[in-house]
Amino acid sequence: MTHRFLSQADLKALIAELVAAKTRVIAPVRAKDDPEQLDYLPIQSLEEATFGARIPRRSLKEFFLPTTEILLSYHQTKEGVTIKEVPTEHPPQVLFSATPCDAAGLDVVDKVMNWDYKDELWNGRRKAATIVSFLCSSMDATCFCTAVGLGPDSSRGSDVLLVPVEGGYLATILTEKGEALLQGKGKAEVPAAVQAAADAAQSEARKKVEANLATIPADFSEWLAKNFDHPLWKTISLRCHGCGACASICPTCHCFDIVDEHNSSSDGVRRRNWDSCQTSKFTLHASGHNPRGSQNERFRQRVEHKFSIYPTKFGDILCTGCGRCARVCPGGMDLPTLIGELMTLAKAEPAESKL
Amino acid sequence: MKELQDLARKLLTEGTVQVVIGYEEGPRTARPAFITDPEKAGNLIFDKRCVQNLASYLNPRRKQIVSLGKAAVVVKGCDARAVAGLLRENQILRENIVIIAVRCGGVLTDPESNAELTTETTSARCGNCDVREPKLFDYLIGELPPAPPVNPKRAEQIAALEKMTAAERWAFWSQELSRCIRCHACREACPMCFCVQCTAEKSTPLWIDPSATPRANRAWQTMRVLHQAGRCVDCLECERACPEHIPLGLLARYIADSVEKRFDYKTCDDPSVVAPMGIYRTDDDEEFIR
Amino acid sequence: MNIYQPYLMSIKEITDETVDTRTFRLEFKDPAVAEKFTFNAGQFGEYSVFGEGESTFCIASPSTRKGYIECSFKASGKVTRALRRLSVGDTLGFRGPYGNNFPLDKMKGHSMLFIAGGIGLAPVRSVIWTCLDQRDEFKNITIVYGARSVGDLVYKRELEEWGKRSDINLCLSVDPGGETPDWKGKIARIPTAVEESGVVAADTFAVICGPPVMIKFTLPVLTKLGFPADHIYTTLENRMKCGLGKCGRCNIGPTYVCKDGPVFTAAEIRALPQEF
Repeated sequence: MTHRFLSQADLKALIAELVAAKTRVIAPVRAKDDPEQLDYLPIQSLEEATFGARIPRRSLKEFFLPTTEILLSYHQTKEGVTIKEVPTEHPPQVLFSATPCDAAGLDVVDKVMNWDYKDELWNGRRKAATIVSFLCSSMDATCFCTAVGLGPDSSRGSDVLLVPVEGGYLATILTEKGEALLQGKGKAEVPAAVQAAADAAQSEARKKVEANLATIPADFSEWLAKNFDHPLWKTISLRCHGCGACASICPTCHCFDIVDEHNSSSDGVRRRNWDSCQTSKFTLHASGHNPRGSQNERFRQRVEHKFSIYPTKFGDILCTGCGRCARVCPGGMDLPTLIGELMTLAKAEPAESKL
Repeated sequence: MKELQDLARKLLTEGTVQVVIGYEEGPRTARPAFITDPEKAGNLIFDKRCVQNLASYLNPRRKQIVSLGKAAVVVKGCDARAVAGLLRENQILRENIVIIAVRCGGVLTDPESNAELTTETTSARCGNCDVREPKLFDYLIGELPPAPPVNPKRAEQIAALEKMTAAERWAFWSQELSRCIRCHACREACPMCFCVQCTAEKSTPLWIDPSATPRANRAWQTMRVLHQAGRCVDCLECERACPEHIPLGLLARYIADSVEKRFDYKTCDDPSVVAPMGIYRTDDDEEFIR
Repeated sequence: MNIYQPYLMSIKEITDETVDTRTFRLEFKDPAVAEKFTFNAGQFGEYSVFGEGESTFCIASPSTRKGYIECSFKASGKVTRALRRLSVGDTLGFRGPYGNNFPLDKMKGHSMLFIAGGIGLAPVRSVIWTCLDQRDEFKNITIVYGARSVGDLVYKRELEEWGKRSDINLCLSVDPGGETPDWKGKIARIPTAVEESGVVAADTFAVICGPPVMIKFTLPVLTKLGFPADHIYTTLENRMKCGLGKCGRCNIGPTYVCKDGPVFTAAEIRALPQEF
């Protein structure tokens, strides 16, 4: 891990250089329909972007697991079928001013995408992308990244972390990709005062978000597993519509559907599409049997998968504490508050199963 | 709101209903509440932040709510139109629901702002409101507040659409709908989308590709809004639920205006008034259906 | 390598088992794949009709036979109906083998009790033939198989073959009311047929597949006969899409049916959250 100091001009020049080299550059941009909001969009110059102002409305997920993604295309005639493969190599792109929660989300999902079969569609896009994250200081009451073991200066999933300081940015280079991106850019010597200022900014940011929700204890995952049949599941999600908006803007929700699509009588594609365990037919069998037939069970699955199953299988909470689910929910479900309530309940009723 | 809280307490204590579906204070703003314990009736509130259309929770397919027992539901005038729609279309029986209608002075577009109601902050749905004192109810409560300021945005958007040529409108909606990710949050939040199996979920035959492609997105959204023609109550839950911020309420409003022009019909809170697309008559104006 | 890309298969043979159940024998179009491909009894795959979609079935043929695989299915949805429209020589896709398998190495040297109902015989058939192809490795083999009616029995040719063998105790049964005038087998539901089969639990592994209600009422019979829960194997079905642990659809608690299953012991199933 090394550091460099980048001035505003250095950053502007870096982006101009990338754009000139036809590298796709993505950064937060003010939304057309609501200038108070930011969306991750392609930019041609630094001026188009707004760095570190607030969390963009949608996560980085769509750049790595597209909303709809072609798995293969086929050509079918009486003679047989030929399959045309999709590329797993992609042109390079650099994502600037990713929030640390969004960058970390990619790292968390890497685990399920590689635990046995390697998903080269996901991996190919990950390999081609360089992520430059930005210290988050725009947290609101809904953020809870520190509670899930991350933070506004988390380095997970990032290649470079930028911290704004007087005159520019302190860049912490975290990976070889980050090294390659910033080679020769800015200054290698970082004054001690700059380092101290960055440390202070990071510490202050962490304190702000820590105040929102206490760190989730290691045994919470076990408590959730043991309390699968707790009566609480019958009351906490009555207002949930099962719309799945939460899953769509979540940086770590990755569940998908696979469907075929005719484009003509002989040609078509097989796609994977975003899907969500919150929808009523997610687990519906052809026989008509549905193991999760009511929203109570479906919401339980969401909480169990994120805070119990994924930690058990992969060692990570399937959540980066970005708070988007709470901000977008039309039914007023509030996951961070709910997790806080569950943690309190777990303390009051430790370990034993409610069966 | 004491009158509401007292009424809820009474209904629950006397066993008239087993759950009162209303609004309560949530961690962020007002949120739907399901009060089953009379002691908790004091949680019920009603103010300009109560934007949700609680009629969505009356969908008989929501097993977890049906299992709570007979419900009373708190409605604004626009929400009462949705309850009337559910009654009109035989989704619920009148005797199985207790309707607590509240006199309404308008709601905010952004309830979390808790701002004053102004021409900029008032929800677009309050613009044409003629049901601030709902006519469908078992109990009518609250004082009638002054009419809310009218937010001109919706009328401006409609005017802009009407000025466009068909090609320009196609381009406009193609652009907006290209962002659709086929999450169907709009459908799940809509009180009038209660079908057990949505047309978009049918696979034999496959009417609409489930993928988020421009072609399929257009098909899905236009199909949904046409299935809402004469039924949509303009509650804007679809627009509020959409994680991609697509102006779905504008599309629904535009269709509703077309229905009004052609059939001289506005969705209303009288279940006995038949919707134009909701009845078969042998003397229908259209020959193909006679 | 794209893990979602299927092998191309050619339909070699079509057999109608019943009015609604069809069996395909499939051969790999690529001889190199045909040469290398192996699987274990109990594993499943994703079979697809290009343009219609993928569907999940077990591999119903034994792992001891090379060069082809078989699957049996009922036309119940979009993809299975499309599969039924295919003819010999047509191409379909196959991804697999996925999932875990029946632990035959553990079962060798012991006796086997196979119980199946209706189309549930498909995954069991894979194990049965794998065992019969190594008959010396197993002691007693008992097969209790039944269906609602004679017309619903599948793999009728093989039932006849197994019935003729002296090294198999075959007990066929149909539900009361499902018999034909010339039916010579038992008339009873599976739980009763198992109880009356004369099978002994000592040193025996049970493999049971069929409709959930059949399994629900047969497990107590097995327990009564003395089968420990970790000697009873069954398969769980769940709605699947990717079949390889990524799409998040088939889990029961932390158990991914496509990875930790579809083969489970009764003991393992009892320990799962009851959400299936």
